[in-house]
Parts: sequence; structure tokens; C-alpha cells
Amino acid sequence: MAVRRLLPGVFALCLGALLARGLALSLGVNNLLLAIALGVVVTNGVGIPARLESGIATHKLWLGAGIVLMGASISVETVLEVGGRVFLVVIAVATLTLIVVELLARNVFGLAERLGSLLAAGASICGVSAVVAVAGAVSAREEQVAYAAATVLLFDAITIAVYPIVGDLLELSSTVFGIWAGVSMFSTGPVVAVGFAHSEMAGQWATMTKLSRNALIGVVVLAYASYYARTGDGDTPSVRTLWAEFPKFVVGFLALAALSSLGVFSAAQQTSIEHAYNWLFLLAFVGLGTEIQLGDLRQTGLVPAFVVMLSLLVASSLSLALLLVLF
Amino acid sequence: MSIDGWRPAAETVTGRWSALERDWQSVIVGGMIVALVSALELQIPW
Repeated sequence: MAVRRLLPGVFALCLGALLARGLALSLGVNNLLLAIALGVVVTNGVGIPARLESGIATHKLWLGAGIVLMGASISVETVLEVGGRVFLVVIAVATLTLIVVELLARNVFGLAERLGSLLAAGASICGVSAVVAVAGAVSAREEQVAYAAATVLLFDAITIAVYPIVGDLLELSSTVFGIWAGVSMFSTGPVVAVGFAHSEMAGQWATMTKLSRNALIGVVVLAYASYYARTGDGDTPSVRTLWAEFPKFVVGFLALAALSSLGVFSAAQQTSIEHAYNWLFLLAFVGLGTEIQLGDLRQTGLVPAFVVMLSLLVASSLSLALLLVLF
Repeated sequence: MSIDGWRPAAETVTGRWSALERDWQSVIVGGMIVALVSALELQIPW
């Protein structure tokens, strides 16, 4: 039975979460970053036994559930107050990143067209999920998908370590740090992790910003599918693509945010929900850590990594400058 | 009802669960936690 197959791995995630929490309390370090580190150490040190793999792979489910629950802690007034500006920054930075990666990949470094598009989607929208979504729409080759995904994962690992340091060095406010991480880092898990590692408020802003960026994936897939269909070697796009690629847990997040703003939850219930998502994030980040395989990262191509690094530097520094002016 | 009697129902539930997109599974897990916390006044420690 499927559930029985998942149980050992889910149990391992729970154990890892408890260990990360316990160690974080006794060492005085951030529990989310410790959870990721734990996953990295285990997977690269002793490896993950095959019977745990399918259960550990559920970590994205727990991350999604945690994000849904976070909706109950969101201050809708604050979102409405600054949300418009944040969304404009999201659109501007995503567009800029996409254009920079495409230009560098095609015109400066001469990468294959589709590989450039996969890197652009991964860097500008939502990491590996965007790479996979665009790959399906543009009929990319398997090795191009693997290459682009490895490049995104490499920068996920780097940004998890670097963003908190930069945030502390520059003494960024929670709002600026959260939005900056949400608008410029690649995958959702690392964004949520560094956001909450900075502060609760930074975590909420990082997640909300990243969710609005993720919601753009349908548009990007549709645009790429249209472009490659016109050149005669891609799948024909449809408006249905927009909904198919939309991250559905955003619906749950918005529903809980609406219920919360209507005053449906008591203070005690909100605290319990907050604790629940903290635990779900810990489970998710132990699993996320197991995906960072140092051996795989070493196999990333130098040129694609260089292209993505340049675009990350441009998008990251410009967005930070913009956010410091706006907030 | 014996355990065997519950098996078809359990298999239907797991079948439907597996057929769901992962994002919707996340929404259901989140919804179930909220329902438990609200209905049973469950205190989750941290």
C-alpha cells in the first residue's frame, strides 16, 4: 500500500525535524537552516536508503501545506497597503532576470536556445518547477532539463548560505529582506527558509512575494510555448496552460488569509496554526537538504552557471537598491 | 465492521489522494490541520 511505502521516509523527516529543533534550541542557531544542513550532511555523508526515498520526497507537500497555513497569520491590511508596490517589483525583477539570462545565453555565451530559456525561467520565476514546466512546453531535451535544474539547485545552495549573511551585514529590515529574498532567489523552499531564518515578518514577506512570483509561471510557460510553436518545434499553447501551471496552494493560502482577516480564528488557534506551519517547514527543509547533492552540483556546466550568476548579481543588486528606496 | 470491510473504502481514499495534484494535497493537509485546531482546540507546542 502507498501509505506504508511513505511512512519510513516521513518518519525520518519527523525525526530530522525534532533533531533540528532540539539542536537549534541548545546551540542557539536558526532551526530552519539547521534542518537544511542536517539533510545535506546526511545525504552527502551516509546517503539516503532506498526505502526512505519516497517518504522523504513528500517534503514539497509539507512545504505547500506550511505555506497554506501561513495564510492564517497574514495581516491583510499590511498586504493591501504595500502589496501593489511589491507586485510591481516582482514583475519588474522577473522580467529583467528573464531578459538578462536570455540575452547572455543567446548573444554572449552562445548556449543552445532551449537551454537558455530553461535557465531564464528557472532564474526568473520559481526554480526547478519553472524549468520543468517550461521544458514540457518547449520540448526541451532531457539533458538540457537536467543541466538547467542542476544550475538552479547550485544557486539555491549558494543563496541559502549567502543571503542571511548579506542581510545581517547590511542590517536590512524584515520587510526589505523578506521581499528581496522572495523577488531574487530561485526556489520557494530556500526563499521561505532564509526569510524565516531572518525573522517571522521577513519569512511572511518572503513567502508572499515568492508566491506572487510563482503565480507568473503560467504566463511565462504560455509565452515560451507560443514562441517555440511559432518557430515550428514546440507544443501548441492554450489558455488552459495558465491554470495548469498555477501553484494551487496559493488558493488555500488566500482562503486562510481571508478567513483570518474575518476574525474566524482566536488568538490561541492562530498560535497553534503558526506552530503547525513551523513544524511543517522543519519537515520540508530536512527533505530539501537531502536534495542538495554536492556531487551533482559539481557536474553543473561552467557557462550556464556563469550566465545565471551574472543575472542573479544584476537582479539581486538592482532589486535590493529598489527596495531600499521604496521601503 | 471487520478490518476487511474497511479495506475497499481505504483503498478508494488512497486512490483519490494519489490522483490529486501535489498542490491540492497541500491544501487538503493544511485544511485538515486548521479543522483539527479549530474543532478540538488543539494546542500545538513549539
